[in-house]
Amino acid sequence: MHKNYCFSNILGIFIFNEHLKVIKSELFTNNEQYLSSPQTKAALSKQYHAVEPTGKSLDRIHEHFSDVKYDSSFVARNIELTKLHVKESVNEDNMIIQSVSSLMELTTILNMLLKRLREWYGMYNPETERAIEEQETFVHEILSKDRKQLLDRLETSERESMGGEIAKKDVDAILFLAKQIEHLRLFKVRQEGYLEEIMKKFCPNITVLAGSFLGAKLIHQAGSLKQLVGFPSSTVQVLGAEKALFRHMKTGARSPRHGYIAAHPLLASAVSAMHGKIARGLADKILLCAKIDYFKGEFIADKLLKELERKFK
Amino acid sequence: MKPTPVFDVFIDYRKRLFTKNLVKGVQVYGEKLVAEKGTEFREWNVRRSKLAAAIEKGCPNIFLRPGQRVLYLGCSTGTTVSHVSDLVGKNGLVFALDFAPRVMREMVFVAMDRGNIAPILGDANQPATYQDRVSPVDIVYQDVAQRNQVSVFLKNIDMYLKPEGYALLAVKARSIDVTRKPKGIFAEVKAELERTLTIVDFRTLDPLEKDHAFFICKKK
Repeated sequence: MHKNYCFSNILGIFIFNEHLKVIKSELFTNNEQYLSSPQTKAALSKQYHAVEPTGKSLDRIHEHFSDVKYDSSFVARNIELTKLHVKESVNEDNMIIQSVSSLMELTTILNMLLKRLREWYGMYNPETERAIEEQETFVHEILSKDRKQLLDRLETSERESMGGEIAKKDVDAILFLAKQIEHLRLFKVRQEGYLEEIMKKFCPNITVLAGSFLGAKLIHQAGSLKQLVGFPSSTVQVLGAEKALFRHMKTGARSPRHGYIAAHPLLASAVSAMHGKIARGLADKILLCAKIDYFKGEFIADKLLKELERKFK
Repeated sequence: MKPTPVFDVFIDYRKRLFTKNLVKGVQVYGEKLVAEKGTEFREWNVRRSKLAAAIEKGCPNIFLRPGQRVLYLGCSTGTTVSHVSDLVGKNGLVFALDFAPRVMREMVFVAMDRGNIAPILGDANQPATYQDRVSPVDIVYQDVAQRNQVSVFLKNIDMYLKPEGYALLAVKARSIDVTRKPKGIFAEVKAELERTLTIVDFRTLDPLEKDHAFFICKKK
């Protein structure tokens, strides 16, 4: 009996006759054609009365595409399709992960620079450096007032101060660092606002229950919201405490009670003996929220938070 | 530049490995390029590539020849893939697969430079999903560092490797089980592979890669 086979792959749609010779081929030139191939294929196989190849004939058709002449098309088509896939892979998750990473890095950098500023400014005005503990106020004060005004407030004078006599241009260098730190801080506030905004839009439940920063850190550690949803709650509980967890698994040391979620207000204010218990409950509810957010369910985070507070406060 | 027992892999006076550069003057990951008698060689860093580490540890044959088709699972940013593409030459073809879009981005750039690499963003765990994008291959190479990496390897061999083709596997013991000793894990992997394949070569990659082993198998 006369029998045709219809076969399609990334290169195009091919009709083979019973001797497995190509009698008709429609080569793809762009991704749209490949993505709409099921329809085109159905139409073509109807036209040629072709069937799906199976078993031996399928193997021989696969063999047919091992020919060197198809190599360059395999390369070109795969590159183009992969480009499209990479393009499509960029989503909200990536924005959350990148912005939370940049926030964490900013925090580290700011702390480092602040430590340097205090060290450096301490040579010029040690009394003030010691008197103002709060970092933000410290930077603000040294930028807005000169040494005399600052020392007056501490009821001491430039003569009694331990600060060295430093040339104007050296003081300017110190204050320039302070100015940059102030700028960085404002930048960080803006980034936090941005993160809060996208988290509220993308994961409203997590944001209310865990806060935008903590929630984003969990997504960052998991890799994506989808992967976070796939974890058991015991994994969410210790996300961010990998070092302690693997030490526990390898050497039998005590297991960590919590990872990133330790920063949650419920845990931060609790007595130590309760930490394990609260962490378990909290991780469970955070995961529940993540699942709701992933599947775009309704908003119940406020109820869950109240429930947790009633239970543990 | 002297030849090594491994086909088309060369060694210089400082015992560094090299392959012939397929695209003259183009670096892939900041490696050294050395020109000698009209041929350009590319250094193959043994600490960044497990295949190079296996050669460094004395593996006499990796069965890669010009003109072959290779299915490369877990290509990452294309460090090792670029050398595999050097070895199969311009008549060969490498299907480079990875799961992560981020590394695929770099891979696509490498593929566009070289012309014999077909990048695929896909999950090696589900070989059927990229069925229409690859053709039967002579070599399967896998380096995915997943817990079920051996079963992933066998699935892909079953589906895409031609009979009597060779299959290369880099095993990371710590990905299979962190708590157990690597030696026991390698023995287990060996037993699992031997059920369907013939093992041609086995090496541990210490100290170049900690707790890793390299298997070369042949399909029956």
